[in-house]
Amino acid sequence: MSDVHTDAPTRAEEVNARTAVDPAVEKILHATDSAHAEPGDVAIQNYTINFGPQHPAAHGVLRLVMELDGEIVERIDPHVGLLHRGTEKLIEYKTYAQAIPYFDRLDYCSPMCMEHSFVLAAEKLLDLEVPLRAQYLRVFCAELTRIKNHMLNLGSHVMDVGAMTPNLWLFELREDCMNFYERISGARMHANYFRVGGVHQDVPLKLLADIGDWLDTRLPRLFEDAISLVADNRIFKQRNVDIATVSRDDAIAWGFSGPMIRAAGVPWDLRKSQPYDVYDRMDFDVPVGTRGDCYDRFMVRVEEVRQSARIMRQCLNEMPEGPVATTDRKVAPPKRGEMKRSMEALIHHFKLYTEGYHVPAGEVYVATESPKGEFGVYLVSDGSNKPYRCKIRPTAFSHLQAMDFMSRGHMLADTTAILGAMDIVFGECDR
Amino acid sequence: MKAPAPAWASSLNEATMEAARATLGAALLDTIEIAGEVQLHVTRDGLVAAMTALRDTPGLEYQQLMEIAGVDYPSRAERFEVVYCLLSLTRNHRLHVHVGATEETPVPSVTGLWPVAGWLEREVYDLYGVLFAGNRDLRRILTDYGFRGHPFRKDFPLSGYVEMRYSEEQKRVVYEPVKLAQDFRSFDFESPWEGAEYVLPGDEKAALPEAKGAPTPLTATQVQKADAAQSAKAAPSAPSEPYAKKDAGSTAETGAGKPGPDGGEPKPADPDVLPGKSSGPAGGGTGGQNQ
Amino acid sequence: MGVEAHSGPVGLVNAPESGRGVVAPDQGFFDSLNGELTDKGFLVTSTEDLFQWARTGSLWWMTFGLACCAVEMIHVNMPRYDMERFGAAPRASPRQSDVMIVAGTLCNKMAPALRRVYDQMSEPKYVISMGSCANGGGYYHYSYSVVRGCDRIVPVDIYVPGCPPTAEALLYGVMQLQRKIRRSGSIER
Repeated sequence: MSDVHTDAPTRAEEVNARTAVDPAVEKILHATDSAHAEPGDVAIQNYTINFGPQHPAAHGVLRLVMELDGEIVERIDPHVGLLHRGTEKLIEYKTYAQAIPYFDRLDYCSPMCMEHSFVLAAEKLLDLEVPLRAQYLRVFCAELTRIKNHMLNLGSHVMDVGAMTPNLWLFELREDCMNFYERISGARMHANYFRVGGVHQDVPLKLLADIGDWLDTRLPRLFEDAISLVADNRIFKQRNVDIATVSRDDAIAWGFSGPMIRAAGVPWDLRKSQPYDVYDRMDFDVPVGTRGDCYDRFMVRVEEVRQSARIMRQCLNEMPEGPVATTDRKVAPPKRGEMKRSMEALIHHFKLYTEGYHVPAGEVYVATESPKGEFGVYLVSDGSNKPYRCKIRPTAFSHLQAMDFMSRGHMLADTTAILGAMDIVFGECDR
Repeated sequence: MKAPAPAWASSLNEATMEAARATLGAALLDTIEIAGEVQLHVTRDGLVAAMTALRDTPGLEYQQLMEIAGVDYPSRAERFEVVYCLLSLTRNHRLHVHVGATEETPVPSVTGLWPVAGWLEREVYDLYGVLFAGNRDLRRILTDYGFRGHPFRKDFPLSGYVEMRYSEEQKRVVYEPVKLAQDFRSFDFESPWEGAEYVLPGDEKAALPEAKGAPTPLTATQVQKADAAQSAKAAPSAPSEPYAKKDAGSTAETGAGKPGPDGGEPKPADPDVLPGKSSGPAGGGTGGQNQ
Repeated sequence: MGVEAHSGPVGLVNAPESGRGVVAPDQGFFDSLNGELTDKGFLVTSTEDLFQWARTGSLWWMTFGLACCAVEMIHVNMPRYDMERFGAAPRASPRQSDVMIVAGTLCNKMAPALRRVYDQMSEPKYVISMGSCANGGGYYHYSYSVVRGCDRIVPVDIYVPGCPPTAEALLYGVMQLQRKIRRSGSIER
């Protein structure tokens, strides 16, 4: 079993170039190729294992059909759709206001960021002006959500590669975020806070001060402590550095976005390049990776948390007073007090909560930078009060599709690290 | 644009449409700009060439394929529309490419240009049944293994045709025809004065007082006309008795009370205890209910 | 069912023989137990009580996170709510777990897997249905791809309402399950 593939080096080179697998490993990888069988070699069949659909490291209901050669992954066929709930079809049967809660339940780790794309899409079709305070509040909540999402992802990524403590600490922060959510919207998770034309209600006064305190004291202390346990940890680095390296060209061709494309070295952040709401007034940095491996993805997210905190502080400093939803009574309902006194307001309220508002016919694709990447909504309206078609562009779809080439040639145990660094949530992936 | 939507370089829209017209040639059917977004409608046969040009021509440079969306327009000759959302990282511009399709006419696959198209095309195939020629892995992706039909078509019912339960006899989960305890309530908010094609319950009496129930559903305009004619003939008499008296036999259904002071049965001692079963549900049962 | 007082003379409180309510620990009870243990070196109890104590005290639950509710299910295990106080620890293997928490929307594609996991669990096994989707389809009730309640697939002991239920609600659901186990006899007669 000397030099088995002198005549067919192309695939081996390709894999080598991508993943830098040890040549000895590479030899084992192709030792069973029947074309190169030598006398005396025992042909070993690859075997196929089923990872999921119920697996604690699968981050939900993912089923991976893996072809293994020993412990080395040769091919992965991800099966998704195990949480396919028909959200897009249900949205076609609901009015625009009734459709917003479905977005919370897409990526349930970052609910408000999901709503953001949809309300921006509907506003674009309506060509609706949104008061400044509402825009600030939406940016503020979106960044709170980003922190919330990254707390879950960083923690579970760390846990997938073997560490426990950071997860416990980060979840304590996440619990704080949930409490803030509850004070903002009334719900711990599914906020249903953003509305077409603004937000549902103003935040309690004390809340902004409390979040300001939290940003200055509790968040940095707990977060930096937790990250200091893993960022320079030798085991953590061994499990993540140079695992699933993705080049810039690959990242672009595979439709990567968010931390995945930034880790690959492309400085692309929709908040910076295509600012929506008041992101153009915010001063923040976009972290970019250098090697495109799992460790870079982790560290990009770590830095994003710090930048999110920075954005939130700016929001707190600059947030103006004023209305939190548009005063266009054909879109946003009147205040409750006003409704009790004015017949006009009562009619508007009734119409908005039964029929809803009609959105002019047209088609838009609006994408925002969700914590996981570009989350887009392709909204087709036929001029009625219900969306004709609402296609949701999940971030996880393109990332998970790349799972095959990213984990090829890696060990079986690395797949959990790769999955953890991808940050996949199935509510959004399967819709 | 007043809305706070993502501000990409929409100032390039005009230039992009010009460049697309010059580059794509005959493959380009139409260019439309709606809500500040450019749509290019291309022919099916010219799709791959057009996409290659959009990706590789300097001045267009759409490096990323972000999304493929299917849309179903049952009234059109080519009922499906496949929409490709492209993004240019260098020019910071977005673009939709639209192509029409039917169930029989496959759309050429763009997996050769963008590997990400593989799953996106699978999804459109799964949900709409649009075929993609050249996609080597055109399996279902989101729906259940062995699912029948294409659920996002407009003629596919929201609740589908089958539902699942565990069968204790067969010791496995089985599919059964869907049976809902309560139907999905879909309200039509179209105002009846704007051409609704149905009659509101009760309107048929106003139109044809002599016939019990209209034989065929009337359109709203017919109802309006009949209504006008009716009111011209005779002013509607004020309903002297709002809860009209009917014959005695129907009180059981209406619950309007007993036909007479002596008509009912003796009051049971315990109001919770109904009289014996001999009197039957219509007679004895109502005696208890009307207390 | 109120709290039974044990400080008074036995028989004064009109408590039914079979009704085991929540017994407030009091000093006399502990002292008598302690005395018995130091005197004889062992305790006498019924097998019924022993089984119930063992079952309710270590409800290892199968992590069956399906959707949104899974996040709350994780939260209930994290430091702030810390469900392990009640002996309920997450377990990834169905063979070793006692209770399955079905957390989230159960879709048609996932239902066979859910049933298989349930079949693999060893008796006695319990199921907590968490959230309105698992209870009855909830927000996705009318969808073509959703099972309208996980009780169509597996028998359910406790339903926890909410979308998603808060971590406290799930905790309360687990305590309700403990109560249910205490109430139901463990020996078939």
